[in-house]
Amino acid sequence: MLPGVIGTIQATEAVKVLLGIGEPLIGRLLTYDALGMRFREVKLRRDPNCPLCGGSPTIKDLAIHRNGGAACDVASNGGGEAVGASKPVARAGG
Amino acid sequence: MKTLKEMITEARQVVPEEGPADLQRRLKSGEPLALIDVRDPDEYRDGHIEAATNISRGFLEFRIAGVVSDPAMPIVLYCQTGLRSVLAAKALKELGYQHVINLVGGYQKWAQSGLPTVREMPLTPDQIQRYSRHFLLAQVGEKGQRRLLRSKVLLIGAGGLGSPTALYLAAAGVGTIGLMDGDVVDVTNLQRQILHTTADIGKPKVESGTRMLKALNPDVNVIPLAGRITVDNVMDTIKDYDLIVDGSDNFETRYLVNDACYLAGKTNVHGSIFQFEGMATVFAPGEGPCYRCLYPTPPPPGLVPS
Repeated sequence: MLPGVIGTIQATEAVKVLLGIGEPLIGRLLTYDALGMRFREVKLRRDPNCPLCGGSPTIKDLAIHRNGGAACDVASNGGGEAVGASKPVARAGG
Repeated sequence: MKTLKEMITEARQVVPEEGPADLQRRLKSGEPLALIDVRDPDEYRDGHIEAATNISRGFLEFRIAGVVSDPAMPIVLYCQTGLRSVLAAKALKELGYQHVINLVGGYQKWAQSGLPTVREMPLTPDQIQRYSRHFLLAQVGEKGQRRLLRSKVLLIGAGGLGSPTALYLAAAGVGTIGLMDGDVVDVTNLQRQILHTTADIGKPKVESGTRMLKALNPDVNVIPLAGRITVDNVMDTIKDYDLIVDGSDNFETRYLVNDACYLAGKTNVHGSIFQFEGMATVFAPGEGPCYRCLYPTPPPPGLVPS
């Protein structure tokens, strides 16, 4: 049932973006705890040192995704401001 | 008695006018703006500026409040050549709207300048019935429905997240849905992946998914993309879509989709789940953070089940 909640939120956000209505979850992370039945919202900020969308990006094409390895190993340049969510917890599973 | 010419001259003295390039700049900047096409509905259907709402001249004073609630919001009016709309603009000013602008040369000059226009496909009687509940929603309406029908959304993954997303987007009448997944349906998928049925076990998910979506709404053009999204096919795959929905189940794909969407300037509606927790956000290039801002590095292997 959990994926139904998140997938339906994704569908809702997709329609909002397509129609240009409401306030999409841009810069906001909505988290859902099914056992506690709680939604929370965490503000997300752009990381000025983001290797992709930061001020001096190091990722300018998809080359790092080749040769099946370093795809996700590029870290932020580090230092500077704290990044994104307070304590993002990695999640997987579709 | 005033001549028409005198009336137009008078209107021009009180109504500021702008050309197509000025309007295009306003539309692109995303500033609050109401664009009203004051021509008759048949002229509007034959071609109009996409962002425009049609209120024909005769109904303007009656219906404007339904479209513009703030009298300080800039309003641009246009007609075919700019004459009907300058008179209409004067009438709105007299009603108390403060920033009413007339588009010089009207729709004709806009189109001749090579700026984009859209033509409305008439909705079929079936579509009018099917989407009638959307028409009742002010923020969707017939205009929003046409927009959905013209929209193309790519779903990455037809599993737990992709199933409900696909079903709702198809039901809502998103015109083109690309469904990408390289897996076949397994019995263990069925307790959550509601796009597939027991009879589909062993079949490619994009096959059962396509059949289910077509059964739900034959209006939707479903494009089955059997296979994984990879570094070699991602750019070519996403280029045809307005929006990407990431319902993938692994970090490698999420970083790939994130990077490709950012580089291609496509909005990525992200979702993920783990056990009893889930999260969703929207990555819009240039407007907000990306997945790498949120997760600069993936979790160490072994920490997260795949």
